[in-house]
Amino acid sequence: MTKRASPWAWLWFIITGIYFFVPLFATAQFSLRAKRDELSLLAYQNVLNSPAFVSSFMFSFQTALITIIVSALLIVPTVYWVQLRLPRLRPVIEIFTLLPIVVPAVVLVFALIRSYNRTMLTDSRNGTYVLLIGAYVMLSFPYMYRAVDTGLRAINVRTLTEAAQSLGAGWFTILFRIIFPNIYIALLSGAFVTFAIVMGEFTIASLLSQPAFGPYMALLSGSKVYEPSALAIISFALTWAAIGLLQLVGRRLPGRIQLVGGR
Amino acid sequence: MTTRKTDMQATTTVSRRRFLRLSASAGLSSLILAACGTSPEPAAQPTAQPAAPATSAPAVTGNTSAPAPGPIDLNAAGGMDALIEAAKKEAELSTIALPDSWANYGEIKKVFFERYPFLKHNDLNPDGSSAQEIEAIKANMGNNGPQNPDVIDVGFTWGDTAKAEGLLQPYKVSTWDSIPDSMKDPDGYWYADYYGVMAFEVNTAVVSNIPQDWSDLLKPEYKGQIALSGDPTGSGQAINSVWAAALANGGSLDNAEPGLQFFKQLNDMGNLLPVIAKPATIAQGETPITLRWDYNALANRDETAGNPEIAIVIPKSGTLAGVYVQAISAYAPRPHAARLWMEFLYSDEGQLLWLKGYATPARFDDLKARNVIPQDLLAKLPQTDVKVSIPTAEQINKASDVITKGWPTIVGTKVE
Amino acid sequence: MAKILRAESQPTGIGTIANKVPWAWLGVVPFFLFVMAFLFYPAFSIVVRSFFDQSGNFTFQNIIDLNQPFIRASYWFTIQLSAVTALIGGLLGFLLAYALTLGKLPEGIRSLMLTFSGVASNFAGVPLAFAFVATLGQLGVVTQALRSIGISIYPTFSLYSFWGLTITYVYFQIPLMVLIMVPALDGLRTEWREAAESLGATPLQYWRHIALPILLPSILGTMALLFGNAFGAHATAFALTGGGTKGTVVTLLIGAQLSSDALSNPGLGNALALGMIVIMLITIGIYSWMRQLAERWQSG
Repeated sequence: MTKRASPWAWLWFIITGIYFFVPLFATAQFSLRAKRDELSLLAYQNVLNSPAFVSSFMFSFQTALITIIVSALLIVPTVYWVQLRLPRLRPVIEIFTLLPIVVPAVVLVFALIRSYNRTMLTDSRNGTYVLLIGAYVMLSFPYMYRAVDTGLRAINVRTLTEAAQSLGAGWFTILFRIIFPNIYIALLSGAFVTFAIVMGEFTIASLLSQPAFGPYMALLSGSKVYEPSALAIISFALTWAAIGLLQLVGRRLPGRIQLVGGR
Repeated sequence: MTTRKTDMQATTTVSRRRFLRLSASAGLSSLILAACGTSPEPAAQPTAQPAAPATSAPAVTGNTSAPAPGPIDLNAAGGMDALIEAAKKEAELSTIALPDSWANYGEIKKVFFERYPFLKHNDLNPDGSSAQEIEAIKANMGNNGPQNPDVIDVGFTWGDTAKAEGLLQPYKVSTWDSIPDSMKDPDGYWYADYYGVMAFEVNTAVVSNIPQDWSDLLKPEYKGQIALSGDPTGSGQAINSVWAAALANGGSLDNAEPGLQFFKQLNDMGNLLPVIAKPATIAQGETPITLRWDYNALANRDETAGNPEIAIVIPKSGTLAGVYVQAISAYAPRPHAARLWMEFLYSDEGQLLWLKGYATPARFDDLKARNVIPQDLLAKLPQTDVKVSIPTAEQINKASDVITKGWPTIVGTKVE
Repeated sequence: MAKILRAESQPTGIGTIANKVPWAWLGVVPFFLFVMAFLFYPAFSIVVRSFFDQSGNFTFQNIIDLNQPFIRASYWFTIQLSAVTALIGGLLGFLLAYALTLGKLPEGIRSLMLTFSGVASNFAGVPLAFAFVATLGQLGVVTQALRSIGISIYPTFSLYSFWGLTITYVYFQIPLMVLIMVPALDGLRTEWREAAESLGATPLQYWRHIALPILLPSILGTMALLFGNAFGAHATAFALTGGGTKGTVVTLLIGAQLSSDALSNPGLGNALALGMIVIMLITIGIYSWMRQLAERWQSG
C-alpha cells in the first residue's frame, strides 16, 4: 500500500490552486496601489488603524462560535434521529434546511422584526442579539445539515448505537460521547462554513443594529477605493487563520472511537 | 447496509435518564410556545398581517397606533437647552442608510456625535435604499430597540407617500422659513436636505479623450467603458442617469422614454457595461466612465487624490437635480434626539458641511444671500452654467415608473 | 451482523410500552420549534404578502405578473446558471476532494485546503466580483497577461455573460463540495477496496458497485445544496450584472422590488421570492426522487 500521493492528485491540486490563487493575487495587487506609482501598504494601514476593526472582528468571532454551537446542538440530534428512526422525515428536514438559502436576507430580517415586534426581543440590543443568533443559525442549517448528514452516513450509526445500548449507555451518552466525537471532521466542515458566513454577513447584522464585522466592512467599502481590496485580503486571511484555530482545537476533542475492521 | 422496515422498530430500552430528558424537553417546549404566545403567533398572523404592510389610510390600521408626536418646533420643545436635556434621557439616535462618502455624511455624523457625546449612534444599513428605510419604520412600529430608525433620508417622492401612510411626525426646524417652499411639506412632515446633478466621472488615465456630453458617449471609442452606479430598476441614482439622458435626447421632465432608447443604443453598441460601478472599478479602469451624482463623483475625486486622475463633467445638453428629503419617524423611540439631529442639519454649520460634500443644501440661496459661505468652499464647487431641471413629485413618480418598467424590456432583453 | 445484534437487544421493562408511543419524534422537537420560530414565519409572510398589492388589497395580479417574458427569462437564466455551476462545481470539487483523500496528498496540504475551503465557500458578493474584475476584466491581470502573448479574449469573452458568471460562481461552489465530500470519502474504508481487489474486482468495478453507491446520496444531496447556493446568491450577481443589461438573475429582480429608491411593488417582490421557494421545493423533490433511485440501485 503506497503512501505516496499519485502525480495526478498533485497536478489537480496545483491546477485548482492556481484558479483559487489568481483572483486573490489580483485583489492584493490592486490594494497595493494606494500610493500613486509605487507599491505601498497604505491601504492596509488605514484599515488596521480604524477604531472599530478589532472590536467588530471580535464581536463577530464570538457570534460565530455561539452560532456554531447552537446549530450543532440542534442539527446533530435531529439528523441522528432521522437516520436512525425516522427516515420518512428526511425529505421534510431537507426542505426545512434548504429553504434558508432561498429566502433573501432582507426579507428574513424584516419578517423576524415584525413577528417579534413588541416583545423584549426587539426592545434592546441584547434582544436583537438573540434574533441575530437565530437568523444566523437558520443560515447555517443548509451547510451544517449536509455536512452532518454526510458524516453520519460515513460511520455506522446503527451499530454504534446498538453496541452502546447493549453496554447500557443512555441517549445522552450516546450522542455526546460517541456520535459527536466520531463525526467531528464533518462537524468541523459545517463549522468552517458557518464561521465564514457569520463573519461576512452584513444585511441582517446591520438592520438589527449589531456592531459586527460585516457592517463594518460594508461601511468601509462604500467610500474608499483601495481600502476595500485591502480589507478583503485581511478579512480572508484572518478568517482563514481563525478557521485554522478551530481545526486545531477540534483535534483535541476527547473520545474519538476508531472503528477498525469491518462491521 | 440494508435497512428493512423492521429495523425501525428495533428495540431500545427506555432508560430513566432518557425519560427524564424527554419530559424536560417537552416541558421546555411548552414554555417556549407559551412565551411565543405573547407575540403574534404564526397561526394567528394571516388575519393580522394584511393590515400591517398595506396601509393606504392616513392612520396606520395595524396592531399599533403611533405614539403622540413630539413638539412641532423648538419653541414647543422649550428651547434648545430643554431639547438637549430631553435628548440626554434618550441616550441614542438611530440613523439609517447614510453612507460615509455620500454628501459628506461621514463628517456630519462625526461632528454631530462628538458635539453630543451622550448620544450613542446606531448607524443602520448604510447602503440601504429608500424602500428599506420605509420598511424599517413599518417593521419596527412600537418597539424601542436600537434597530428602530428615528430619522430617515429618502428620495423626494417618498416624503408624501410616507406621510400619507402615517409614518412620519412633523417638525419645523428653527431655520424653517429659509427653506424654499418647493422643497418642503407645508405641514412640516418632510423637508429637502440637499440635491445634486447628474455627472460623468472619468478616469483620465484610461480615457484620454474626455466625453463632454451625452452624445459623446455614443462614440465607438468608448466601447466597454461606460457604466451606471446602480441598478436602473431600483437605484435612484441609476434611474436619474437614464432620465437625464432623456433630457438630452428629446425628452423632458414629463417624458423619460428617450432615455431608455438612448441606453438601448448604448448597450447595443457595446459601450455600456452591465457591472455596477464602484470607486474601485473606476480606479482600476474597468468602468472608466461612470454616471453618478456630482457630489459622489467629486467626493471620489478627492478621495483618490490623483491616483488616478479623475475628471468630472456635467453634460452640457442638460441634467437634472435629484432631491433627497429628511423626516422623523412617527414611531421614533427617541424623538428629541431626532429633533436635535434636524436642528444640527439645518443650521448654517450643518448646511455648510453638506456643501463641503459638494451637495447643494436646501438653504443654499439663503446662505449665499447672507454671505455665510466661505470663499474657498465656493471656489471648490464646480463652476457650471448648465441648465438644471428640478422635477416635481408627480414627474419623478411617472419617470421612475417608465424607467423601472421599461428597462428590462427595452434595454436588457438579451439573455445569453 | 445486524440480525445478531437485534436478537440481543430485546425490549425490557418500560421499553415495550414506550415503543408504542413515537418517542423518537420528541427528539426532533427542538429543531422544529427553532425552524418554526426563525424560518417558518418569514417564509410564510412571503407567501401571504405575495397576494397583496401596494394598496393592501388582495390580488392574484402579482402571481400573474410573474408570467411576463423577462421574468420568465430571468427564472430560466437563474435555473440554468445554478444547475451548471452546481454540476461543474460538484464535479471539480469532487475531484479535488478525491485528490485530498484517496489521492493521498500530504496531511498538511489537506488541512490547508479544508480550511481554505471554509473561507472560500463564503467569499462572494462584491469582494469576489471585484477579484474577478481585477483578474478577467478588460484590464484584468489574466486578460493583460494573455494580451501580452498575443491572445485577446475580449470581445468574445465577457465577464458579465453567462460563462463569466459561471467562472465566478464556481469559486465558492468548489470549496463547498470539497468540504462536504472529504469526510464522505474518508468514510470509504481501505479494507473494502482491498477486499474487492482480493476478490478480483478492477478499480472501475470497485467504484461502480461499492464506492459510488455508498457516496451517491451524499453527492446528490450536496449538488442540491450547490444548486440552492447559486440560486439564492444575490450579492455576486448584483455586483457583476446589477446594471442588468445581459441575463438577469431573479434575486436582482427581487431586490429591485423590495429595496428600491423608486416606488415599487413589494407584493411582486414577494411573489418573485415565492417563485424561488417553489422552484427550490421542486428541486428538492427531484433530488429526493433521484436519491430513492440511487438507494434502490444500492440495495438491489
